[in-house]
Amino acid sequence: MKLITAILKPFKLDDVKNALQAHGVTGMTVSEASGFGRQKGHTEVYRGAEYTVDLVPKVRLEVLADDAEAGAVVDVIVKAASTGSIGDGKVWTTPVDQVVRVRTGERGPDAI
Amino acid sequence: MGTRERRERSNESDRYLLSLFTKALEKTGKTSKGLALAAVGGYGRGELSPGSDLDILILHQEQFSQEILSEFVNNLLYPLWDRKSVDHSVRTRAQTRDAAESDLKVALGLLDIRLVCGDTDLVALVQADNLENWHKNARNRLTELKESLSNRHERSGELAYLLEPDVKEARGGLRDINALRAISLSGTVRVPLERISWAESKLNDIREALHVTSGRNKDRLLFQEQDAVAAKLKYSDADALMSDVARAARSVDYLLDFTWHQIEQKGKDGFGRFLRKPRTDVVAQNLSVSQREIVIDPHTDFATDPLIGLRAAATAAQLGLPISLDSYTSLSNALKENKAVLPNPWPREAREYLISLIGAGEAMIAIFEALDQEEIIFHWIPEWLALRSLPQRNVLHRHTVDRHMVETAVRAAALTRKVHRPDLLLFCALFHDIGKGSEEDHSLRGERLIAPLAKRVGFPEEDVAIIKLLVKHHLLLSATATRRDLDDPATIQSIVDVIPDLNTLELLHALSIADGEATGSGAWSDWKATLVADLVSRVKKAMTGSSTVAKQPVISAEQLSLAQTGILHVNLEKRENGYSIEIISPDKTGLLSLVAGVLNTSRLDVRSARTKTHGNSAVMKWIVTPEPYAPEVTAEYLRAEIERAFNDATHIEEKLIARAEAYAAIPAIPVPDPVVEIFNDGATEATIIEVRSHDRPGLLFRIGAGITQSKIDIRSAIVTTLGAEAIDTLYVTEISGGPLSTARADEVASRLRLLLK
Repeated sequence: MKLITAILKPFKLDDVKNALQAHGVTGMTVSEASGFGRQKGHTEVYRGAEYTVDLVPKVRLEVLADDAEAGAVVDVIVKAASTGSIGDGKVWTTPVDQVVRVRTGERGPDAI
Repeated sequence: MGTRERRERSNESDRYLLSLFTKALEKTGKTSKGLALAAVGGYGRGELSPGSDLDILILHQEQFSQEILSEFVNNLLYPLWDRKSVDHSVRTRAQTRDAAESDLKVALGLLDIRLVCGDTDLVALVQADNLENWHKNARNRLTELKESLSNRHERSGELAYLLEPDVKEARGGLRDINALRAISLSGTVRVPLERISWAESKLNDIREALHVTSGRNKDRLLFQEQDAVAAKLKYSDADALMSDVARAARSVDYLLDFTWHQIEQKGKDGFGRFLRKPRTDVVAQNLSVSQREIVIDPHTDFATDPLIGLRAAATAAQLGLPISLDSYTSLSNALKENKAVLPNPWPREAREYLISLIGAGEAMIAIFEALDQEEIIFHWIPEWLALRSLPQRNVLHRHTVDRHMVETAVRAAALTRKVHRPDLLLFCALFHDIGKGSEEDHSLRGERLIAPLAKRVGFPEEDVAIIKLLVKHHLLLSATATRRDLDDPATIQSIVDVIPDLNTLELLHALSIADGEATGSGAWSDWKATLVADLVSRVKKAMTGSSTVAKQPVISAEQLSLAQTGILHVNLEKRENGYSIEIISPDKTGLLSLVAGVLNTSRLDVRSARTKTHGNSAVMKWIVTPEPYAPEVTAEYLRAEIERAFNDATHIEEKLIARAEAYAAIPAIPVPDPVVEIFNDGATEATIIEVRSHDRPGLLFRIGAGITQSKIDIRSAIVTTLGAEAIDTLYVTEISGGPLSTARADEVASRLRLLLK
């Protein structure tokens, strides 16, 4: 199993969510996040001196997927999140040892 | 379901207990002399819900050995435990007295003691002991009670506003009703319990229905239970049920707040209150402060002073004091008898009172709640009735619709320095969700509903247009910032297409923040605030040619010819609630400050001013309202005072210092710090100083004095007072002409900030 984590532009969340639902993904976790990559936030110039690099607001989306499905899910996210401009975000996967559905106690892929 | 059923349940328990008591007593072979079974707490009042505990007290006089007493109690209680949840204690009269003294809960329970069976006299003695102690130690016991209430409120939250509240423990719930009864029994103050009889029976009914439908003795009205409880009580839906819960809780909470205030006042005044006449300070026309309450003069003729209610509310909120209950009652009666009817549209003064009330921040909540509880607000704003305790079953929201709008207004009051029309911000904050309560999109419905209200309150057409736009688009910035690409020029253009100018944009930005903050952490976060601020800054850049700075006034030909004579000319015109004063004077250093000082010491409150210099003369137009009981002024008087000040202004300064000291003694609410901003205006070759501050006596005199100390010249001034907020824009130049250098401008700004602190 894999945990797929995506950092996205906030306005792209709805597109990604819809695309994932259309692909058959039934659950996800979304949180507000801030950070910067190559986009480097905003550089302010004040009285001739550059200062402060603001953190840019982003959305963090997490989805659990079976190993066989993970690649396709990543593709769906990347396709839906892309605008082609800087700051579109990143997607990565992490191996997951165990998943348990709290209500039923189901484990492994059944719990996804 | 209802009081009768609860009483019947209690009677049935009485009968069952009597049978158990008789059987247990028979086994001991003794008589019931000196032995009694009493009900306390809710059971004592005969109010038993299906899940209620039986709170009982077994009283004895140590006539039994320990074994016989234990056997009696066991025989009584064992069969009971199989059927009911029982909370019992076994005590002598003296032990009961000690327990009540050391444990507030015991004392409170005993206030409702009732004989179930056994020795009547013994129960009567215990009851008398407890009441006597409760009276005697009222001061300490009530302090203890208040502390325990506030701890409980902290734990359980507010019944009126929680989505899943506890009808017993939460603020405004059944325990608070018991507390009010206990206060009443202490005899400290009169508690008008009849005001909450509806709330009490309603909350008891809801609790009873909750016990029945859930089959448990829990008092928390969870989402999953609300539909069933609503159906059981024949409500149309859960929203209607929760609306009644909120209404009941608010009336309890209001009475409790009011009662604590009374007790506090009594504590401060001691018995002196009854021996000497309390000190009374007049704070506005027909209004005074007495015993730290705003009191409407009992001789007020409501028909000739219909603004008295709004004036009382604004004054109370701005001073952070409550209005006396008698004043509320007389105002409410006058409104019911159609005596204090506001004209349509409201006069400017009435609108300003409303804005001052809304702009008072936290202090506004209690006043607004009281106006709601006393049903006064509906006479002024009938639209509020449809929003009263309107629930919003939405996880993002913490409050009912009406309270959410009040909370938004409180947040908006902290943002008044960020906009140039604080009055529009505050008004829209209080009414932005006016469209809620139907299936229709609330923003669109709100736009439709707000227009007639804004017109009735007396806003001019151009302001009504902005208000409509703000209500319609109050979610626009948040929605756009989180859902659309801010790098896309089309996104920015979509806002520019809707928002006509910078003034409206800054209003919408402030409204979005206030609305978001009031909604709760689920709807607003630093994350969202950053996105919205980014959007606003991009839109600002795209709005070229728009400015928020007030334009310089224009001098008429008639004024120009008078100015050319070089003679001091004062013309005074009486208007509704004040004067319009035209002053044309030879220009002098510090003229603005001097004239402002003369007006202030003549007890005239400046509402607006437009001044402009022309050659060696200055043309000024002032709109002022006299303070309560200020003597009549004439043009001759003002002319003489201004001329006198030209020669020597020390007497004005002295008077102003004395007035400032007197003003400082009046209670005040916390307000945002003043803002001083400086811009250079290429078009007029002047530097613009903009001061946004809470209005206070002598404000303009201070600003003028700061400018004079900085040795710069005022070319024109635009002074505006909106409710309790003032915005003063000054176009200034160096004495030798030309705008101020950056360093000089910074120096002037720092001086003004220091002077206004």
